[in-house]
Amino acid sequence: MKAYATKLIDLTENNAEKIARQWAKDVRTNEKTSSYHGADDERILLQATEFYHHFREMFVHDAPYRHAEKYFEHYAEERYREGIPLHEAVYALILMRRHIWLYAEFQAIFITAVEHRQAVESLSRTILMFDYAMYIITRKYRELMKLEWFETPNT
Amino acid sequence: MKAYATKLIDFIETKSEEMARQWAADVRKNPRTPSYHVMTEEKVIPQAIFFYTHFRQMFFTKNPYDTAKGFFARYAEERFRDKIPLQEALYALILMRRHLWLYAEFRTAYETSVDLHQMAEGLNRTILMFDYAMYQITEKYQELIARDVDRKLGAIKTLRMEDPASGNKGVFKAGLMGVMLLAACVLTYYYHATLGVDVIFTHLFYIPIILAAIWWRRAGIIVAVFLGLLILASHALFLRDIPYTSDIIRGVIFVLTAFVVARMAESLKKVEDLFKTLTT
Repeated sequence: MKAYATKLIDLTENNAEKIARQWAKDVRTNEKTSSYHGADDERILLQATEFYHHFREMFVHDAPYRHAEKYFEHYAEERYREGIPLHEAVYALILMRRHIWLYAEFQAIFITAVEHRQAVESLSRTILMFDYAMYIITRKYRELMKLEWFETPNT
Repeated sequence: MKAYATKLIDFIETKSEEMARQWAADVRKNPRTPSYHVMTEEKVIPQAIFFYTHFRQMFFTKNPYDTAKGFFARYAEERFRDKIPLQEALYALILMRRHLWLYAEFRTAYETSVDLHQMAEGLNRTILMFDYAMYQITEKYQELIARDVDRKLGAIKTLRMEDPASGNKGVFKAGLMGVMLLAACVLTYYYHATLGVDVIFTHLFYIPIILAAIWWRRAGIIVAVFLGLLILASHALFLRDIPYTSDIIRGVIFVLTAFVVARMAESLKKVEDLFKTLTT
Protein backbone atom coordinates (compact mmCIF):
# COMPACT_ATOMS: atom_id res chain seq x y z
CA MET A 1 0.00 0.00 0.00
CA LYS A 2 2.77 2.36 0.97
CA ALA A 3 4.37 2.32 -2.50
CA TYR A 4 1.34 3.64 -4.37
CA ALA A 5 0.53 6.23 -1.80
CA THR A 6 4.03 7.65 -1.43
CA LYS A 7 3.63 10.16 -4.23
CA LEU A 8 0.46 11.71 -2.84
CA ILE A 9 1.72 11.64 0.75
CA ASP A 10 5.04 13.25 -0.17
CA LEU A 11 3.26 15.91 -2.19
CA THR A 12 0.87 16.67 0.67
CA GLU A 13 3.56 16.74 3.32
CA ASN A 14 6.01 18.84 1.32
CA ASN A 15 3.36 21.37 0.37
CA ALA A 16 1.27 21.34 3.55
CA GLU A 17 1.46 25.11 4.05
CA LYS A 18 0.64 25.91 0.44
CA ILE A 19 -2.34 23.54 0.34
CA ALA A 20 -3.49 24.80 3.74
CA ARG A 21 -3.46 28.40 2.47
CA GLN A 22 -5.59 27.45 -0.54
CA TRP A 23 -7.99 25.61 1.77
CA ALA A 24 -8.17 28.56 4.18
CA LYS A 25 -9.00 30.91 1.31
CA ASP A 26 -11.75 28.58 0.21
CA VAL A 27 -13.25 27.93 3.64
CA ARG A 28 -13.29 31.65 4.44
CA THR A 29 -15.47 32.39 1.41
CA ASN A 30 -17.40 29.17 0.89
CA GLU A 31 -21.11 29.61 1.59
CA LYS A 32 -21.28 26.20 3.30
CA THR A 33 -18.71 27.19 5.92
CA SER A 34 -20.01 30.58 7.02
CA SER A 35 -18.69 30.21 10.60
CA TYR A 36 -15.17 30.36 9.21
CA HIS A 37 -15.69 33.65 7.38
CA GLY A 38 -14.74 35.92 10.22
CA ALA A 39 -12.22 33.54 11.80
CA ASP A 40 -8.62 34.44 12.43
CA ASP A 41 -6.43 33.39 9.47
CA GLU A 42 -3.59 31.90 11.51
CA ARG A 43 -5.91 29.85 13.68
CA ILE A 44 -7.74 28.23 10.79
CA LEU A 45 -4.50 27.69 8.88
CA LEU A 46 -3.24 25.66 11.81
CA GLN A 47 -6.17 23.22 11.47
CA ALA A 48 -5.25 22.37 7.92
CA THR A 49 -1.45 22.27 8.31
CA GLU A 50 -1.88 19.97 11.30
CA PHE A 51 -4.12 17.73 9.22
CA TYR A 52 -1.77 17.67 6.23
CA HIS A 53 1.21 16.90 8.46
CA HIS A 54 -0.76 13.98 10.00
CA PHE A 55 -1.74 12.70 6.59
CA ARG A 56 1.18 10.26 6.23
CA GLU A 57 0.63 8.76 9.65
CA MET A 58 -3.08 8.20 8.97
CA PHE A 59 -2.34 6.72 5.56
CA VAL A 60 0.29 4.18 6.57
CA HIS A 61 -0.84 3.29 10.07
CA ASP A 62 -1.38 -0.44 10.74
CA ALA A 63 -4.63 0.29 12.57
CA PRO A 64 -6.07 3.23 10.55
CA TYR A 65 -9.38 3.35 12.40
CA ARG A 66 -7.84 3.61 15.84
CA HIS A 67 -5.42 6.26 14.69
CA ALA A 68 -8.16 8.20 12.89
CA GLU A 69 -10.36 7.94 15.97
CA LYS A 70 -7.83 9.73 18.13
CA TYR A 71 -7.12 12.43 15.58
CA PHE A 72 -10.69 13.16 14.50
CA GLU A 73 -12.13 13.08 18.01
CA HIS A 74 -9.65 15.81 18.84
CA TYR A 75 -10.66 17.67 15.65
CA ALA A 76 -14.35 17.42 16.65
CA GLU A 77 -13.68 18.61 20.19
CA GLU A 78 -11.77 21.65 18.98
CA ARG A 79 -14.38 22.64 16.39
CA TYR A 80 -17.12 22.14 18.98
CA ARG A 81 -15.29 24.40 21.41
CA GLU A 82 -14.99 27.02 18.69
CA GLY A 83 -18.78 26.86 18.19
CA ILE A 84 -18.58 25.55 14.63
CA PRO A 85 -21.84 23.79 13.64
CA LEU A 86 -21.37 20.11 12.83
CA HIS A 87 -22.27 20.36 9.13
CA GLU A 88 -19.67 23.10 8.69
CA ALA A 89 -16.98 21.15 10.56
CA VAL A 90 -17.72 18.20 8.28
CA TYR A 91 -17.64 20.32 5.14
CA ALA A 92 -14.40 22.04 6.13
CA LEU A 93 -12.80 18.62 6.39
CA ILE A 94 -14.21 17.59 3.02
CA LEU A 95 -12.61 20.71 1.57
CA MET A 96 -9.27 19.74 3.14
CA ARG A 97 -9.43 16.47 1.23
CA ARG A 98 -10.51 18.19 -1.99
CA HIS A 99 -7.61 20.60 -1.83
CA ILE A 100 -5.12 17.73 -1.68
CA TRP A 101 -6.57 16.43 -4.94
CA LEU A 102 -6.82 19.83 -6.55
CA TYR A 103 -3.17 20.40 -5.78
CA ALA A 104 -2.17 16.93 -6.99
CA GLU A 105 -4.14 17.42 -10.22
CA PHE A 106 -2.62 20.83 -10.72
CA GLN A 107 0.86 19.36 -10.32
CA ALA A 108 -0.12 16.58 -12.79
CA ILE A 109 1.57 13.85 -10.80
CA PHE A 110 -0.62 11.04 -12.18
CA ILE A 111 -0.04 10.66 -15.91
CA THR A 112 0.91 7.12 -16.96
CA ALA A 113 -1.30 3.99 -16.58
CA VAL A 114 0.66 2.94 -13.49
CA GLU A 115 0.26 6.41 -12.04
CA HIS A 116 -3.47 6.34 -12.78
CA ARG A 117 -3.72 3.05 -10.92
CA GLN A 118 -1.84 4.71 -8.06
CA ALA A 119 -4.23 7.64 -8.20
CA VAL A 120 -7.29 5.38 -7.97
CA GLU A 121 -5.80 3.45 -5.08
CA SER A 122 -4.69 6.59 -3.24
CA LEU A 123 -8.16 8.00 -3.75
CA SER A 124 -9.77 4.86 -2.33
CA ARG A 125 -7.48 4.91 0.68
CA THR A 126 -8.12 8.61 1.31
CA ILE A 127 -11.85 8.04 1.04
CA LEU A 128 -11.67 5.17 3.53
CA MET A 129 -9.95 7.49 5.98
CA PHE A 130 -12.59 10.16 5.44
CA ASP A 131 -15.40 7.65 5.88
CA TYR A 132 -13.98 6.98 9.33
CA ALA A 133 -13.61 10.71 9.90
CA MET A 134 -17.29 11.43 9.15
CA TYR A 135 -18.41 8.68 11.50
CA ILE A 136 -16.07 9.67 14.33
CA ILE A 137 -16.76 13.42 14.11
CA THR A 138 -20.56 13.07 14.06
CA ARG A 139 -20.42 10.55 16.92
CA LYS A 140 -18.23 12.88 18.98
CA TYR A 141 -20.43 15.93 18.33
CA ARG A 142 -23.48 13.92 19.39
CA GLU A 143 -21.70 13.01 22.59
CA LEU A 144 -20.62 16.61 23.22
CA MET A 145 -24.05 18.05 22.43
CA LYS A 146 -25.56 15.49 24.82
CA LEU A 147 -28.11 14.55 22.18
CA GLU A 148 -28.88 11.36 24.06
CA TRP A 149 -30.77 13.55 26.57
CA PHE A 150 -33.34 14.25 23.91
CA GLU A 151 -33.49 10.88 22.20
CA THR A 152 -35.63 7.88 22.99
CA PRO A 153 -33.75 5.08 24.80
CA ASN A 154 -33.33 2.70 21.84
CA THR A 155 -30.96 5.10 20.10
CA MET B 1 -15.96 9.71 -18.71
CA LYS B 2 -19.59 9.53 -19.80
CA ALA B 3 -19.22 6.16 -21.61
CA TYR B 4 -17.68 4.55 -18.56
CA ALA B 5 -20.18 6.20 -16.23
CA THR B 6 -23.14 5.13 -18.37
CA LYS B 7 -21.91 1.55 -18.30
CA LEU B 8 -21.45 1.74 -14.56
CA ILE B 9 -24.87 3.27 -13.96
CA ASP B 10 -26.69 0.82 -16.22
CA PHE B 11 -24.96 -1.90 -14.30
CA ILE B 12 -25.94 -0.39 -10.92
CA GLU B 13 -29.57 -0.02 -11.97
CA THR B 14 -29.93 -3.59 -13.17
CA LYS B 15 -28.24 -4.96 -10.05
CA SER B 16 -29.78 -2.59 -7.53
CA GLU B 17 -31.71 -5.25 -5.65
CA GLU B 18 -28.75 -7.60 -5.41
CA MET B 19 -26.50 -4.80 -4.13
CA ALA B 20 -29.19 -3.65 -1.71
CA ARG B 21 -29.37 -7.16 -0.24
CA GLN B 22 -25.62 -7.28 0.25
CA TRP B 23 -25.67 -3.84 1.84
CA ALA B 24 -28.55 -4.83 4.13
CA ALA B 25 -26.66 -7.93 5.30
CA ASP B 26 -23.66 -5.72 6.10
CA VAL B 27 -25.52 -2.90 7.83
CA ARG B 28 -27.52 -5.37 9.95
CA LYS B 29 -24.37 -6.72 11.57
CA ASN B 30 -21.84 -3.91 11.25
CA PRO B 31 -20.68 -2.73 14.73
CA ARG B 32 -20.92 0.92 13.59
CA THR B 33 -24.61 0.64 12.70
CA PRO B 34 -26.17 -1.07 15.76
CA SER B 35 -29.58 0.62 15.28
CA TYR B 36 -30.02 -1.36 12.05
CA HIS B 37 -29.42 -4.70 13.80
CA VAL B 38 -32.96 -4.85 15.12
CA MET B 39 -34.59 -3.73 11.87
CA THR B 40 -36.14 -6.27 9.52
CA GLU B 41 -34.71 -6.86 6.03
CA GLU B 42 -37.98 -5.63 4.53
CA LYS B 43 -37.50 -2.29 6.28
CA VAL B 44 -33.80 -1.96 5.43
CA ILE B 45 -33.51 -3.14 1.80
CA PRO B 46 -35.84 -0.51 0.22
CA GLN B 47 -33.57 2.26 1.54
CA ALA B 48 -30.71 1.04 -0.62
CA ILE B 49 -32.89 0.17 -3.61
CA PHE B 50 -34.23 3.72 -3.56
CA PHE B 51 -30.69 5.08 -3.49
CA TYR B 52 -29.32 2.84 -6.25
CA THR B 53 -32.28 3.46 -8.55
CA HIS B 54 -31.89 7.24 -8.17
CA PHE B 55 -28.17 7.14 -8.72
CA ARG B 56 -28.37 8.03 -12.46
CA GLN B 57 -30.38 11.16 -11.76
CA MET B 58 -27.86 12.39 -9.18
CA PHE B 59 -24.84 11.40 -11.24
CA PHE B 60 -25.73 13.14 -14.50
CA THR B 61 -27.52 16.21 -13.29
CA LYS B 62 -26.16 19.64 -14.23
CA ASN B 63 -26.69 20.84 -10.70
CA PRO B 64 -25.66 17.92 -8.46
CA TYR B 65 -25.94 19.92 -5.22
CA ASP B 66 -29.60 20.84 -5.69
CA THR B 67 -30.57 17.41 -7.03
CA ALA B 68 -28.85 15.71 -4.11
CA LYS B 69 -30.50 18.09 -1.65
CA GLY B 70 -34.02 16.82 -2.24
CA PHE B 71 -32.97 13.21 -2.17
CA PHE B 72 -30.78 13.38 0.93
CA ALA B 73 -33.19 15.60 2.86
CA ARG B 74 -35.71 12.82 2.45
CA TYR B 75 -33.11 10.23 3.48
CA ALA B 76 -32.31 12.28 6.62
CA GLU B 77 -35.97 12.77 7.52
CA GLU B 78 -36.74 9.07 7.20
CA ARG B 79 -33.70 7.95 9.20
CA PHE B 80 -34.46 10.56 11.86
CA ARG B 81 -38.01 9.23 12.07
CA ASP B 82 -36.59 5.69 12.39
CA LYS B 83 -34.56 7.04 15.38
CA ILE B 84 -31.23 6.26 13.73
CA PRO B 85 -28.43 8.40 15.25
CA LEU B 86 -26.73 10.69 12.73
CA GLN B 87 -23.38 8.89 12.70
CA GLU B 88 -25.13 5.60 11.88
CA ALA B 89 -27.27 7.15 9.14
CA LEU B 90 -24.09 8.53 7.57
CA TYR B 91 -22.19 5.30 7.94
CA ALA B 92 -25.04 3.31 6.39
CA LEU B 93 -24.85 5.63 3.38
CA ILE B 94 -21.07 5.23 3.24
CA LEU B 95 -21.63 1.46 3.16
CA MET B 96 -24.08 1.91 0.25
CA ARG B 97 -21.32 3.62 -1.69
CA ARG B 98 -18.78 0.98 -0.71
CA HIS B 99 -21.05 -1.83 -1.83
CA LEU B 100 -21.61 -0.08 -5.10
CA TRP B 101 -17.88 0.10 -5.73
CA LEU B 102 -17.17 -3.39 -4.43
CA TYR B 103 -19.78 -4.77 -6.77
CA ALA B 104 -18.65 -2.75 -9.76
CA GLU B 105 -14.94 -3.39 -9.22
CA PHE B 106 -15.48 -7.07 -8.72
CA ARG B 107 -17.11 -7.38 -12.14
CA THR B 108 -15.07 -4.96 -14.24
CA ALA B 109 -11.51 -5.06 -15.50
CA TYR B 110 -9.63 -1.80 -15.90
CA GLU B 111 -6.53 -2.18 -17.95
CA THR B 112 -5.69 0.76 -20.15
CA SER B 113 -4.71 4.21 -19.00
CA VAL B 114 -7.98 5.54 -20.45
CA ASP B 115 -10.01 2.95 -18.48
CA LEU B 116 -8.25 3.91 -15.29
CA HIS B 117 -8.58 7.61 -15.98
CA GLN B 118 -12.32 7.20 -16.58
CA MET B 119 -12.59 5.13 -13.44
CA ALA B 120 -10.84 7.84 -11.41
CA GLU B 121 -13.23 10.41 -12.91
CA GLY B 122 -16.24 8.26 -12.09
CA LEU B 123 -14.92 7.78 -8.59
CA ASN B 124 -14.43 11.53 -8.20
CA ARG B 125 -17.96 12.26 -9.38
CA THR B 126 -19.41 9.74 -6.92
CA ILE B 127 -17.32 11.21 -4.14
CA LEU B 128 -18.52 14.73 -4.96
CA MET B 129 -22.09 13.50 -4.66
CA PHE B 130 -21.32 11.88 -1.34
CA ASP B 131 -19.59 15.00 -0.07
CA TYR B 132 -22.82 16.88 -0.69
CA ALA B 133 -24.75 14.05 0.93
CA MET B 134 -22.67 14.21 4.13
CA TYR B 135 -23.17 17.96 4.37
CA GLN B 136 -26.88 17.92 3.55
CA ILE B 137 -27.76 15.00 5.83
CA THR B 138 -25.81 16.52 8.74
CA GLU B 139 -27.46 19.90 8.21
CA LYS B 140 -30.93 18.37 7.94
CA TYR B 141 -30.43 16.21 11.03
CA GLN B 142 -29.39 19.25 13.03
CA GLU B 143 -32.43 21.14 11.85
CA LEU B 144 -34.65 18.20 12.88
CA ILE B 145 -32.88 17.79 16.22
CA ALA B 146 -33.19 21.53 16.97
CA ARG B 147 -36.90 21.37 16.12
CA ASP B 148 -37.32 18.31 18.33
CA VAL B 149 -35.45 19.91 21.24
CA ASP B 150 -37.59 23.02 20.82
CA ARG B 151 -40.75 20.94 20.96
CA LYS B 152 -39.56 18.99 24.01
CA LEU B 153 -38.71 22.20 25.84
CA GLY B 154 -42.02 23.76 24.81
CA ALA B 155 -43.68 23.54 28.26
CA ILE B 156 -40.75 25.09 30.08
CA LYS B 157 -40.55 27.83 27.44
CA THR B 158 -44.21 28.68 28.00
CA LEU B 159 -43.58 28.96 31.73
CA ARG B 160 -40.54 31.13 31.07
CA MET B 161 -42.60 33.59 29.03
CA GLU B 162 -39.65 34.67 26.93
CA ASP B 163 -41.27 35.04 23.55
CA PRO B 164 -39.55 38.17 22.23
CA ALA B 165 -42.36 38.79 19.75
CA SER B 166 -44.96 39.30 22.44
CA GLY B 167 -43.98 42.59 24.07
CA ASN B 168 -42.30 43.41 27.34
CA LYS B 169 -42.63 40.27 29.41
CA GLY B 170 -40.17 41.52 32.07
CA VAL B 171 -42.62 44.08 33.50
CA PHE B 172 -45.46 41.58 33.39
CA LYS B 173 -43.41 38.96 35.25
CA ALA B 174 -42.30 41.46 37.92
CA GLY B 175 -45.91 42.63 38.34
CA LEU B 176 -47.24 39.11 38.62
CA MET B 177 -44.55 38.22 41.15
CA GLY B 178 -45.43 41.33 43.15
CA VAL B 179 -49.09 40.25 43.29
CA MET B 180 -48.13 36.71 44.36
CA LEU B 181 -45.83 38.01 47.11
CA LEU B 182 -48.53 40.35 48.34
CA ALA B 183 -50.97 37.42 48.44
CA ALA B 184 -48.35 35.43 50.39
CA CYS B 185 -48.11 38.26 52.96
CA VAL B 186 -51.91 38.43 53.34
CA LEU B 187 -52.18 34.65 53.63
CA THR B 188 -49.40 34.52 56.24
CA TYR B 189 -51.06 37.26 58.28
CA TYR B 190 -54.45 35.55 58.07
CA TYR B 191 -53.16 32.14 59.15
CA HIS B 192 -50.66 33.32 61.77
CA ALA B 193 -52.45 36.37 63.24
CA THR B 194 -56.14 35.52 62.75
CA LEU B 195 -56.26 31.71 62.94
CA GLY B 196 -53.06 31.29 65.03
CA VAL B 197 -51.85 28.22 63.12
CA ASP B 198 -48.78 27.45 60.96
CA VAL B 199 -50.32 24.73 58.77
CA ILE B 200 -50.25 23.86 55.08
CA PHE B 201 -50.87 27.30 53.48
CA THR B 202 -47.10 27.64 52.94
CA HIS B 203 -47.31 24.97 50.18
CA LEU B 204 -48.78 27.67 47.98
CA PHE B 205 -45.48 29.58 48.30
CA TYR B 206 -43.83 27.06 46.01
CA ILE B 207 -45.67 28.63 43.06
CA PRO B 208 -43.85 32.02 43.24
CA ILE B 209 -40.62 30.30 44.35
CA ILE B 210 -40.51 27.97 41.32
CA LEU B 211 -41.66 30.63 38.86
CA ALA B 212 -39.03 33.09 40.15
CA ALA B 213 -36.27 30.49 39.78
CA ILE B 214 -37.41 29.70 36.23
CA TRP B 215 -37.72 33.36 35.21
CA TRP B 216 -34.65 34.85 36.85
CA ARG B 217 -32.65 31.71 37.67
CA ARG B 218 -30.18 32.36 40.56
CA ALA B 219 -31.44 35.90 41.08
CA GLY B 220 -34.90 34.37 41.65
CA ILE B 221 -33.65 32.71 44.86
CA ILE B 222 -34.26 36.09 46.54
CA VAL B 223 -38.02 35.35 46.41
CA ALA B 224 -37.51 32.11 48.40
CA VAL B 225 -35.34 33.97 50.92
CA PHE B 226 -38.02 36.67 51.24
CA LEU B 227 -40.81 34.12 51.83
CA GLY B 228 -38.66 32.18 54.30
CA LEU B 229 -37.96 35.37 56.26
CA LEU B 230 -41.64 36.35 56.01
CA ILE B 231 -42.90 33.20 57.75
CA LEU B 232 -40.15 33.43 60.39
CA ALA B 233 -40.89 37.12 61.11
CA SER B 234 -44.62 36.47 61.22
CA HIS B 235 -44.00 33.48 63.49
CA ALA B 236 -41.97 35.70 65.83
CA LEU B 237 -44.78 38.27 65.90
CA PHE B 238 -47.89 36.10 66.14
CA LEU B 239 -46.96 32.52 67.12
CA ARG B 240 -44.56 33.00 70.02
CA ASP B 241 -45.95 29.94 71.86
CA ILE B 242 -45.34 27.51 68.98
CA PRO B 243 -41.80 26.15 68.42
CA TYR B 244 -39.87 27.61 65.44
CA THR B 245 -38.64 24.22 64.15
CA SER B 246 -41.30 23.69 61.45
CA ASP B 247 -40.99 27.19 60.00
CA ILE B 248 -37.18 27.08 60.03
CA ILE B 249 -37.34 23.80 58.06
CA ARG B 250 -39.89 25.34 55.67
CA GLY B 251 -37.66 28.35 55.06
CA VAL B 252 -34.63 26.15 54.35
CA ILE B 253 -36.67 23.96 51.97
CA PHE B 254 -37.88 27.10 50.13
CA VAL B 255 -34.31 28.18 49.45
CA LEU B 256 -33.17 24.67 48.53
CA THR B 257 -36.07 24.26 46.10
CA ALA B 258 -35.33 27.62 44.50
CA PHE B 259 -31.64 26.71 44.19
CA VAL B 260 -32.37 23.34 42.50
CA VAL B 261 -34.91 24.83 40.07
CA ALA B 262 -32.57 27.74 39.27
CA ARG B 263 -29.73 25.32 38.50
CA MET B 264 -32.00 23.27 36.24
CA ALA B 265 -33.22 26.41 34.47
CA GLU B 266 -29.61 27.49 33.95
CA SER B 267 -28.69 24.10 32.49
CA LEU B 268 -31.65 24.17 30.13
CA LYS B 269 -30.72 27.65 28.99
CA LYS B 270 -27.17 26.47 28.33
CA VAL B 271 -28.44 23.52 26.28
CA GLU B 272 -30.72 25.82 24.29
CA ASP B 273 -27.94 28.32 23.61
CA LEU B 274 -25.62 25.49 22.61
CA PHE B 275 -28.16 24.16 20.13
CA LYS B 276 -28.71 27.61 18.74
CA THR B 277 -24.97 28.06 18.17
CA LEU B 278 -24.27 24.60 16.86
CA THR B 279 -27.24 24.11 14.62
CA THR B 280 -27.50 27.44 12.85
